[in-house]
Amino acid sequence: MRIPALGLKRKQWEPYAFASPAIVMIGFVIVFPLVYSFYLSFQNFDLSVGPEHEFVGVKNYTEAIFQDPRFMGSVWNTAVIIAPSLVFELLLGLGIAMLLSRVLRGRPIITALLAIPAMVSPVMAAMAWRMMFGVKYGAINNLGRQLGILDVYFDWFSSPFMSIVAVVLVEVWHNTPFMMLVLLAGIQSIPTELYEAARADGAGAWQRFWSITLPLLKFTMVVGVMIRLIDLTKLFGLIFVLTYGGPGGSTETVAFTTFLMGFKDFRMSYAAAMSYVIVGGVLILTLLFFWMQRLREARAAA
Amino acid sequence: MAIALERSAVVAQRAKRHRLWWRAVGHFFVYLGLAAALVFFLGPFFWILTTSLKGNEDFFAFPPVWIPAEPSLKHYVGLFTRSSGARYFTNSMVISTLSMIASLAVSLPTAYSIARWRFGGGFLSIFLLVLRMLPAIALIIPIYIVYRLLGVTNNYLGLVVVYTVLYIPFAVWLLVGFLRDFPVEIEEAAMIDGCSRLRALAQVVVPIIAPGLAVVALFSFIATWNEFLFAIVLTGIETKTMMVLVTSFTSGGTDMFYGEASASVVLGVLPAFAVAFMLQRYLVKGLALGGTKG
Repeated sequence: MRIPALGLKRKQWEPYAFASPAIVMIGFVIVFPLVYSFYLSFQNFDLSVGPEHEFVGVKNYTEAIFQDPRFMGSVWNTAVIIAPSLVFELLLGLGIAMLLSRVLRGRPIITALLAIPAMVSPVMAAMAWRMMFGVKYGAINNLGRQLGILDVYFDWFSSPFMSIVAVVLVEVWHNTPFMMLVLLAGIQSIPTELYEAARADGAGAWQRFWSITLPLLKFTMVVGVMIRLIDLTKLFGLIFVLTYGGPGGSTETVAFTTFLMGFKDFRMSYAAAMSYVIVGGVLILTLLFFWMQRLREARAAA
Repeated sequence: MAIALERSAVVAQRAKRHRLWWRAVGHFFVYLGLAAALVFFLGPFFWILTTSLKGNEDFFAFPPVWIPAEPSLKHYVGLFTRSSGARYFTNSMVISTLSMIASLAVSLPTAYSIARWRFGGGFLSIFLLVLRMLPAIALIIPIYIVYRLLGVTNNYLGLVVVYTVLYIPFAVWLLVGFLRDFPVEIEEAAMIDGCSRLRALAQVVVPIIAPGLAVVALFSFIATWNEFLFAIVLTGIETKTMMVLVTSFTSGGTDMFYGEASASVVLGVLPAFAVAFMLQRYLVKGLALGGTKG
């Protein structure tokens, strides 16, 4: 009875009026810059040369994708950092979530404590760890020497391999809590009757894990990994503080290389083109993400 | 017969005791594992905190000083005076607070429009989610060029505008959820009593969903506090945020100026600690939607 009465009062423009401030602002601060950047990526705008620029076609894109070993190297570096990070974040996150799901007392407080690294800025996480890795005053070298494991002060960032290990370690420390929270929510949504029934049928703990927890957690794991994957393509602050891309560019990620190209070399058009290559990659991953979500909904409906 | 029954009872009791014993062992390992996780995830914070309280001579000591015998606040004093930490801390506070308020003010009506009228169909929601996935590096290049033309780099307002808009998608997504849970009947009653739609939103809906608004506000606060890429490009000497200040300590190589650097990290992670406890229930959703990432 009330709704039709309300329907008469409702004005056609109201929904637009309510939504317009946000949409106008998004238009100015996100959509317009993106369009402008797309236009720039076909120019040869270089701030270190001057404000004049002209149309150069797809030259910036072909240079980035086919001729620039630094940019393609950074794509490779990003992949090398992402792959082990995702594996460890998933395994460690799953392990801790399983432990948390079996805790009887104090679960909220332990969960909140474990979640803190994920709330901290990548810059702060990297700074804390950079100091931990410090050669003379760092906690790691000092502890190693005190325990007699290290006999000399070790420079963790002297080799590309150790630097990548360090970046992955900090990234895993920083974002495993996110994976843990997502998976814990997933585990808690599994009906306990399933476990009780399995136990009544004589299934052991491992069997229950393999045939109930894992299959029912599959989509949650995929969602968690996809979100981390998309965010890891933007890895920037952590690299900026921890290694600044070094040694020898071995930890330069795509976002970091693009940043250097734009704000150190000031080749704005080229950096814009590089950023659009990244956007393309992220777009593909995002579409994959949506497709998986839809798949899940379809399965849930069936 | 009686003996057999008694014996089976004894066996059953023994089996029960056995099970209980195994359960206790299981719990022991669960807590052991969690204790190890706590040491790994909180250890760095503990070390940073104790380092910030050390005296200078403690850094050179061997065996290393883990907990300073005489904690001192002199690195904090140094950070606030010599390194202008007070100014940059205030900058971060002001910028985060302003963008938090602006973002909320703009996002609430939009979320209302989506929740009540399904404004934009499914398209607007998807569009906002795509924006959340968008790499910030693609935005900073054109925004920097435009800001340079307008002469608003090294300006509070420039950064606040960017942050406000950057976290609209996140705020709208969370708010739509809260508004959908809100019973329409209450607003309708207010409107039948002669309230306009906007007044109903401001005076009826807002007070009731205030806890939800607080959640969104805290997430956008921490997100702007943590943001780094826009901060380092768009700020100058006077408008640096805490994130930018912290990176200035890295110029000392692998052994940098530990006292003030660790003090600045302690101050930089303080809001994260507060928010992690206040938002426990919403952490999954907030983090998944990108509430804390710069």
